[in-house]
Amino acid sequence: MKNFAFLNNKLPKRNAKTSSAIVFLLLLCSCGKPALNSTNEQLENLNKSYPSQSGGTLIDAMTGEPSGLISMIAGESASSAISANIFNKLLKYDKNLDLEGELAESWQVSADQKTITFKLKPNLKWADGNPLTSADVLWTWHAVIDEKTGSPYASDYQLVKKAEARNPLTFSVTYEQAYAPALDSWAGLQVLPEHLLKDQDLHTTAFARNPVGSNYYKLDSWTHGENIKLSRNASSVLGQAKIDHLVSRIIPDSSAQFLELMADSIDSMGLDPIKYARIIPARPELQQKLALYKELGNSYTYLGFNLKRKPFDDVRVRHAINYAIDKQEIIDGVYLGLGINIASPYKPGTRWSNPNLKPYPYDPTKAKALLKEAGFADTNGDGILERDGKPFSFEIVTNQNKEREKSAVLIQRRLKDVGIDVKIRAIEWASFISRFIKTGDFDAVVLGWSLGLDPDQYSIWHSSQQAPGQFNFIGYNNPTIDKLLEQGRLELDPDKRMKIYHEFARVLLDDSPIVYLSAGYGLTAIHKRVKGIDSPAPPAGVGWNSETWYIPEPLRRNEISAN
Amino acid sequence: MMINSVFKKALTNPLSKAGFIVIVGVFLLAMLAPIISPYDPDDINVKAILLAPSMQHWMGTDGLGRDVLSRMLYGSRISLLVGLVAVGISTAIGILLGAIAGYYRGWVDTVIMRLVDVMLSIPSFFLILAVIAFLTPSIINVMIVIGLTSWMGVTRLVRAEFLSLTEREFVQAARTLGAKDARLIFTHLLPNSLTPIIVSSVLGVAGAVLMESGLSFLGLGVQAPQASWGNILTDGKDYIQFAWWLSLFPGLAILITVLGYNLLGEGLRDALDPRSNSSK
Repeated sequence: MKNFAFLNNKLPKRNAKTSSAIVFLLLLCSCGKPALNSTNEQLENLNKSYPSQSGGTLIDAMTGEPSGLISMIAGESASSAISANIFNKLLKYDKNLDLEGELAESWQVSADQKTITFKLKPNLKWADGNPLTSADVLWTWHAVIDEKTGSPYASDYQLVKKAEARNPLTFSVTYEQAYAPALDSWAGLQVLPEHLLKDQDLHTTAFARNPVGSNYYKLDSWTHGENIKLSRNASSVLGQAKIDHLVSRIIPDSSAQFLELMADSIDSMGLDPIKYARIIPARPELQQKLALYKELGNSYTYLGFNLKRKPFDDVRVRHAINYAIDKQEIIDGVYLGLGINIASPYKPGTRWSNPNLKPYPYDPTKAKALLKEAGFADTNGDGILERDGKPFSFEIVTNQNKEREKSAVLIQRRLKDVGIDVKIRAIEWASFISRFIKTGDFDAVVLGWSLGLDPDQYSIWHSSQQAPGQFNFIGYNNPTIDKLLEQGRLELDPDKRMKIYHEFARVLLDDSPIVYLSAGYGLTAIHKRVKGIDSPAPPAGVGWNSETWYIPEPLRRNEISAN
Repeated sequence: MMINSVFKKALTNPLSKAGFIVIVGVFLLAMLAPIISPYDPDDINVKAILLAPSMQHWMGTDGLGRDVLSRMLYGSRISLLVGLVAVGISTAIGILLGAIAGYYRGWVDTVIMRLVDVMLSIPSFFLILAVIAFLTPSIINVMIVIGLTSWMGVTRLVRAEFLSLTEREFVQAARTLGAKDARLIFTHLLPNSLTPIIVSSVLGVAGAVLMESGLSFLGLGVQAPQASWGNILTDGKDYIQFAWWLSLFPGLAILITVLGYNLLGEGLRDALDPRSNSSK
């Protein structure tokens, strides 16, 4: 299951408060700091080292509640964040992003590169005690490709021509043609229990709210709108995690999350640049108890054009806009320097990112020249360019995400300098997707892509992926790109494959269907009571070894214990 | 009672006088915004993000380094414009429907008043939220939608005035002398109902200012980069423990303005009320 997903960074759905409540809130606003219940001694204890031990509860927060815990259907980050603790995959990525077996003990790729045979670990069990066999894997594959399931990730698995479970420990898949992202896809599919789900409708089954898995944790309770509690699965196939309970509290508002973090009611949360770079450094008491982690995410923010609309079909116009936008200003002003100016749609520093490509520099003079060449001129002296009597004016749509809104304002400012009038509309995520993205009814968007580890970006750029709901909603259609993407999927030699994707990124940059704004850092704060975290974060991210994290007993919250 | 004398009487009350001064002050600041603003309200400065209030920036700077004082001054124009235009629309509709209902009575009255009941039965903030969600959020739409959803009070007021005025001798006399409907309505009935309408409009402006701030706060009102008190407040919400100036100043501005309109409105109402008259 490749992780293409709209990078949402979903801002909290705003509750419709009455306006008098707003005014009232203001009266309360500057009433001093929240009481901190940590004394100096406790703070000192946080920095001591402790031996690894089991037990304790880790509490984190999420902005949205999952719609269900079958992630192949939910397709949302809130769901997979929880379900990843409950279900296993055949393969997984290790700390350096190399593949290793999870349920699979080993795997073999046939000489013609078309067949992959997985050998499962012996004596695997579901949390309810039933054996986990290759039949479960086969059933999961059938479920994900089933039209009735309608999984957004189906396309990767539909390329499998034949799948079979020859014996309880062997699962093999055969592709029509060698398919380079194949192994990556098997590191994404969470294996579901056939014995509990057979003949059930995956969309309505109670299993989605009461799952039985095989991973470190099992679901304890799910209180709608409040929290989801997991506890250690005693029959986990991978051994035992250290921390007994994981609690995910549902707190839609990030400022409310931050208050909870300061008050010690949650242990970790994702931060925005202002909290990371300005608020926490300004407060020593927070610095003392929170460890901050910064990792370059596999994601980027961009300005995308609707290429089916004029004048964005003109490459000179796209180049002009690219030159007219000052990306460094966006990185400094919006991300407070916590971003990287990029020139290819891959994480900087990885093998797929072409090191020879340079981002478009900020050059308004060149932008103006290009616009003139494209036939735009300010004929009526209002400061806005016209072509054929029509002013160059367009609307940028984005979701209510502070960073994106601010980026749009900076773009608006810079484009006005070269004579382009920009309007901005920021709307709530769900209606943003249904009203603008799925219908293709927009001029330009500021959005983000969160990418998988495989370099294949077929579903984003290939001209065949333009149906409503598919990811090429900007309407990009370039035969050269199509060909490179098709080649890249079939090429299994890593070096040749790298060359293909370097070339792909070069053509893409040249054609400029989108303007790369910034590759951002993932910023996380974790309470120092949680030990065993790798710092700095390895390529796989700060959470890669969360099962070995532990909370030493003296640092735990008071809690009722059964023993 | 003539409007002038009502005003004079209302202003003898120190509270409504204070309200009147606040409103005049806010109007002056709004009109003079281009002259007295220390900075361009849209001037982004990524080197000066979230600066606390200082001599350079009296009210600090926001998340994009824009001067909050300048944005507040320009934002006051939006708030006042929305308040006045929205109330203008609602008052116009209210007078028209109320006059028709109160003058012609019968089934016309029944239809209009049932419509009023229906509209009043829907909580207006949510009605407005729902309507705005279907439209492009913009200052013009906000003014129109607030206007179109808040005329019911004026309608009831005008109808009641008309019902009682049509029974009065001078109206009867005019009618006996052969005055047509239009003449009766516009020269006899309406001028005599004007004072309560003005009072309700002044109070209505307060509601509209609050409504606009609320909508902008929710991202459904005035759109970036245009400043309004409501959206400056939203910017401040996320950093309320750190950048207090982003929440405090627009919050106070809304509070003071709305309070000003309310005090003036209440003062006018008291001045009109015959009971408060006799108690003096």
